[in-house]
Amino acid sequence: MNNKFSKIYFDPYLCFSLFLLSTLGLFFLYSASNADIALVLKQSAYVALGFLIMIGVSQADPDLFRRTSALFLIFSIFLLAITFLFGPEINGAQRWVRIGSFSFQSSELLKLSLPIFIANFLFDKRLPIQPKEMVVTLSIIILAFILVARQPDLGTGLIVALSGLFVLFLSGLSWSFIGGLFAILVICSPLIWNVLLQPFQQQRIATLFNPESDPFGAGWNIIQSKIAIGSGGIFGKGFGEGSQTQLNFLPETKTDFIFSVIGEEFGFLGVFLLLSLYFFILMRCLYLALSARDRFCRLVIGGISLTFAANLIINLSMVVGLLPVVGMPLPFISKGGSSLISLFFAFGIITSMGTHKKFLPQ
Amino acid sequence: MIFEERQVEKNNFSSRVVFLFVLLGISFLAVLFQVFALQVSSYSSYQLAALNNKNYSIPIQPLRGEILDRKGDAIVRNELTFDLITQPDLIKNPKLFLERIKPVVYLSPQEETDYLQKFQEKAFVNKELVLKKNLTAEEIARFNVRSFIFKNAFIGKRYRRVSDYPKIFSHVVGYSSRSDQQFDFSINIPRSHWVDAELTYANGLIQGKTGLEETYNQHLIGKHGERVYEINAKGRLVQSLEYYPPERGLDLNTHLDIDAQASAALSLGNRKGAVVAIELKSGGINVLYSSPSYSINKLSNGMSEEEFQNLITDPDKPFFNRAAQGRYPPASTIKPAIGMFGLTNKLIEWDDEIDDPGFFTLPENGRIYRGWKKGGHKNVNLKKALLVSSNTYFFKLAYKSDMKDLASYLSSFGFGQKVCGDCYDEDAVFLPTPDWKFKNLNSSWFTGDTVNIGVGQGYLVSTPMQLAHYIAIIANKGEILPLSIVQADQTLSRIDNSNNIKLPKADWAKMHDALTGVIESDYGTARSIRDLKNFKVAGKSGTAELVSLDSKEAYLEVRDTELLRDHSIIIAFGPMPNPQYAVSVVIENGESGGAVAGPVAIEVLKSLLNEQ
Repeated sequence: MNNKFSKIYFDPYLCFSLFLLSTLGLFFLYSASNADIALVLKQSAYVALGFLIMIGVSQADPDLFRRTSALFLIFSIFLLAITFLFGPEINGAQRWVRIGSFSFQSSELLKLSLPIFIANFLFDKRLPIQPKEMVVTLSIIILAFILVARQPDLGTGLIVALSGLFVLFLSGLSWSFIGGLFAILVICSPLIWNVLLQPFQQQRIATLFNPESDPFGAGWNIIQSKIAIGSGGIFGKGFGEGSQTQLNFLPETKTDFIFSVIGEEFGFLGVFLLLSLYFFILMRCLYLALSARDRFCRLVIGGISLTFAANLIINLSMVVGLLPVVGMPLPFISKGGSSLISLFFAFGIITSMGTHKKFLPQ
Repeated sequence: MIFEERQVEKNNFSSRVVFLFVLLGISFLAVLFQVFALQVSSYSSYQLAALNNKNYSIPIQPLRGEILDRKGDAIVRNELTFDLITQPDLIKNPKLFLERIKPVVYLSPQEETDYLQKFQEKAFVNKELVLKKNLTAEEIARFNVRSFIFKNAFIGKRYRRVSDYPKIFSHVVGYSSRSDQQFDFSINIPRSHWVDAELTYANGLIQGKTGLEETYNQHLIGKHGERVYEINAKGRLVQSLEYYPPERGLDLNTHLDIDAQASAALSLGNRKGAVVAIELKSGGINVLYSSPSYSINKLSNGMSEEEFQNLITDPDKPFFNRAAQGRYPPASTIKPAIGMFGLTNKLIEWDDEIDDPGFFTLPENGRIYRGWKKGGHKNVNLKKALLVSSNTYFFKLAYKSDMKDLASYLSSFGFGQKVCGDCYDEDAVFLPTPDWKFKNLNSSWFTGDTVNIGVGQGYLVSTPMQLAHYIAIIANKGEILPLSIVQADQTLSRIDNSNNIKLPKADWAKMHDALTGVIESDYGTARSIRDLKNFKVAGKSGTAELVSLDSKEAYLEVRDTELLRDHSIIIAFGPMPNPQYAVSVVIENGESGGAVAGPVAIEVLKSLLNEQ
């Protein structure tokens, strides 16, 4: 009874590396925003708040998340619906819900509630997963995907779907089913291209393969991003010295393309160190997942950390020109309160799941 | 049982989560590899791309070299003016702007309407529009005091290309004007940046368009300077990084002589024609004048559309360079060459005499070829034939000649060829041969055709430039000079005539003697100009018939119609016996050669010899 209050649940490795990452992020943001102090201060406030949230969430017992998972999912779908109906339109897409002066990207919550809900749904089922359970799970995933993708935010929609699919996969989805699903996806790809994708999304994919075809239009972002990263060389141009960044050739430096800023100003060395930090965090998550106390925790840690990793990889691949341009921030570094808060929230859950050990029955 | 199942589940989970993390790890490596490819393998090309992004280099226009005459006086120079220059992209309402600036500088109603029109038409030069040229000192002072109000205008130091003799050097010097299509590729500045060039001339990036300005453009233009700006993605200038000053173009030293050219223009007056004068020791062209002419200053610095149309549609064709392109029958001026052909080919001797009854009858068909004097010149040898310009003598000589041989002999004097090494627009014309006639007129060559050529008529035509070249060779006793307007160290002339006209020394002396007699003796056809000077001149006059006349009535009719009147021609050199200059003059519809063209030639020679 007494150790419930004396013990603070936290993971020193994650805490330290996330602290390092988000502090570095503030420096990068300072340069990327052409030394916008006000912006950096606001962002540091979010970082501080995020840490508090993370530590707070870490203290909750995993069972709390398990028990409230359905409520959590319904709440986030509800928020999404509100956004869809009433949210302000920003850049042609409705993604934000405004509460007072605080706007929140409602799909962020879904990235957490969906894997938790599915983990809760599947953790006590026998292996292998039965078709009925699979259909239920997949239906929920598809529903969530459609809700987000219709905003339209295909990138986040895919991430949300992935967050669910990761859990489904980790809980033992049969390989033959995965193979079949993959085949269907390939067969349906022309349909997806023509029906599901908006013209601007088609444009982005086309641009990836030939950015020079439209150097001042759709290709501009990716060309400038590659120039920024490439011109950084091994050691970079120095903090605040990147001409691509400081003279605004690079688009969206504070958000999606902040990695290009890092590449330009800190070079390959900086990129390598940053990626190592991310890699360390992921490895720690993997360790926590493997050593978690029960199947539910394992599934949640695995699902959330893999979602985080996918998010990261998609952003990186996009800015280096390996994937089409999708709106996806660089976790912990890009400007944006809701992204930061939900990331810290996610790592709070991971910490909670990873550090709460089972009481041995007495 | 439960424990076992949990273990199975755990193993299953572990392998799957590791599988996914390995996949992600591979993606990580792919990203890292791509970053490596960008930053390490392709570093230099991306570094260059980043530099090209931020560095915006613009050319700085150099000052063109001046064109100097042989004494070093400027024929074309750069004149500095202070202009009120506006920046149209900073002016929202041009009318309002004019109202505000009018108290500062005086604007004529014409200047106002011109400005507004150019503003509407966006007829700017590199984002600049000149509002008023040649500001007075007072206007400059007034503007400078108020310049802080006018952020969209400034006083610019701008040059203009001007000639102090705008109408007499038009054809030879040509003009330069704004050109949007020609760039200096010797500096590595992208084409699109040239609209932002820093200007030195009020007319923008000027290039030579005709004449020496065109031929020697590379020599005159100089080297563009460069200013490198750092710009941001919106194209705003952030700062100036580097500056390389432009290099002024080289001055062009020509053989032209302002005084002689002016005297040619003056003595030709408003008659149509051309004058070419050559310095014998250098082959330099001292005079190259074609009349009527036009003002190169106006053409370079802005001419109204109406004025330009008038020039183009003028029936006298002022743009036509008669000196280098006009095709005139050489008429009697060809006779010395025909005579020399006869001597060289042993068809005649100096002392061989013929009877000149005033006409020549072609033995084949009895056709009669008349001389200019009724009754003829009686007994005529070569010298007398040249002096009195006996047609009969040269009809007979030509009758004995083979046309192919004659044509090739004439070509060694430069007929049918370009002779001026650096003229902008010289016409080579052609040499009439049996082949030429068959190709062009689809008719075979008759002996009568050769007979006509003996007196420089028929199919034979030449330019005043070719005539001057021809007489210069005679004056130089057979030495062929490559002609050039520009002095030897700068000339672009690549004409290299190596085979000289060979004639025994004694024959040259006799030829000079005979041609001196044309002007200086009592019998010479051009004796009327003998007393216009106090040095001796040799030469040959000619009257080029434009229509062949068979009756006296026809002759009188032609006299009344100016455009059908004969051209008068003279080719001359002097002072004798040691000639320094050769000159050719053609006056269209001027009639009798010696008396009309002669005085012009004498004026030019006097000017060249400083015997004014």
